[in-house]
Amino acid sequence: MLAQPGGSFARIKAMRDEDVQSLLRRRCFATAFELLLDRYQEKVFRFVYSILKETGRAEEVTQDIFLKLWQVLPDYDGRASLSTWLYTITRNTALSALRAESYRKTQPIEGCDPPGANWEAGLRHLEINQLVRRLPEAQQQVITLFYLQDRSVEDVAQMLDLPEGTVKSHLHRARQALADMVRS
Amino acid sequence: MDCRETQERLLESFDGAVSPLEKSQLERHISECPGCAQFAVLQSQLDLRLHEAIAAPQLSSGFRVGLQARIAQQRREPWPDWLPDLAHLAGSAVAIGWCALLLPLPVPVVLGAGGLVAFLAYSLQTLLVSALEQKTD
Repeated sequence: MLAQPGGSFARIKAMRDEDVQSLLRRRCFATAFELLLDRYQEKVFRFVYSILKETGRAEEVTQDIFLKLWQVLPDYDGRASLSTWLYTITRNTALSALRAESYRKTQPIEGCDPPGANWEAGLRHLEINQLVRRLPEAQQQVITLFYLQDRSVEDVAQMLDLPEGTVKSHLHRARQALADMVRS
Repeated sequence: MDCRETQERLLESFDGAVSPLEKSQLERHISECPGCAQFAVLQSQLDLRLHEAIAAPQLSSGFRVGLQARIAQQRREPWPDWLPDLAHLAGSAVAIGWCALLLPLPVPVVLGAGGLVAFLAYSLQTLLVSALEQKTD
């Protein structure tokens, strides 16, 4: 039985991937899955959202990813870290979904705020999103994920399978380029 | 610390990678250099705007319930994966046994021929199952 959302926050914070690996070695798959879900569901969802750029579809694909994880969890051999393994599944599944449905053609215009949002803030967001879209693809992806993942360079590096130094380099170049665009 | 290094460190500060000593050096340089002070203000504003504009979406309250339902559906799979293999093995053993009892041939010949036929049939079954699985994927 899966736990309800918002389970013990302290438990999630205290849990490490090693604890999950220990559960997997003891073949406690249901508990391990529940802990992985608590720990990674938001991160995986935001990662998928950064690729698909549509909340409803990103949630569906996040479900697909955890369903796949539930099926293959008994096959986890511990060679890659759990997060690397999960992010690889996430990246492949989200990119397949993107390719299959040609989401690039139908993605909503970024920067459009939900109804009721303040007009001035909406304009500000639209401007900055337009500037971000003028960045090279890799810089766009890194800077978007960085802010989606609560400014964690480590998470972005794991998700994109890049060294942290490369992520920082993309971030710095993106910030420099954005500053140049604003000044010009 | 010169202007180039200051601006590099300033950019690093947004990734949370600047020590207290570097921070004080940065602040000292910025207080004396109008160009770097302007760069610092611009980057702070950019950081704030990016943080506001790239807001993280939230999963809906039905996410776990939906996932739970899909997992429950998977659990209702009628047969375990190994069942066709077991059924084949048992069926072959029974058929070979009856043939050995009833056919007017030497038992080693029946067992040999029966084993060969069973192996060929198993290979064919494996190929068919594999083809069906690829089709459903």
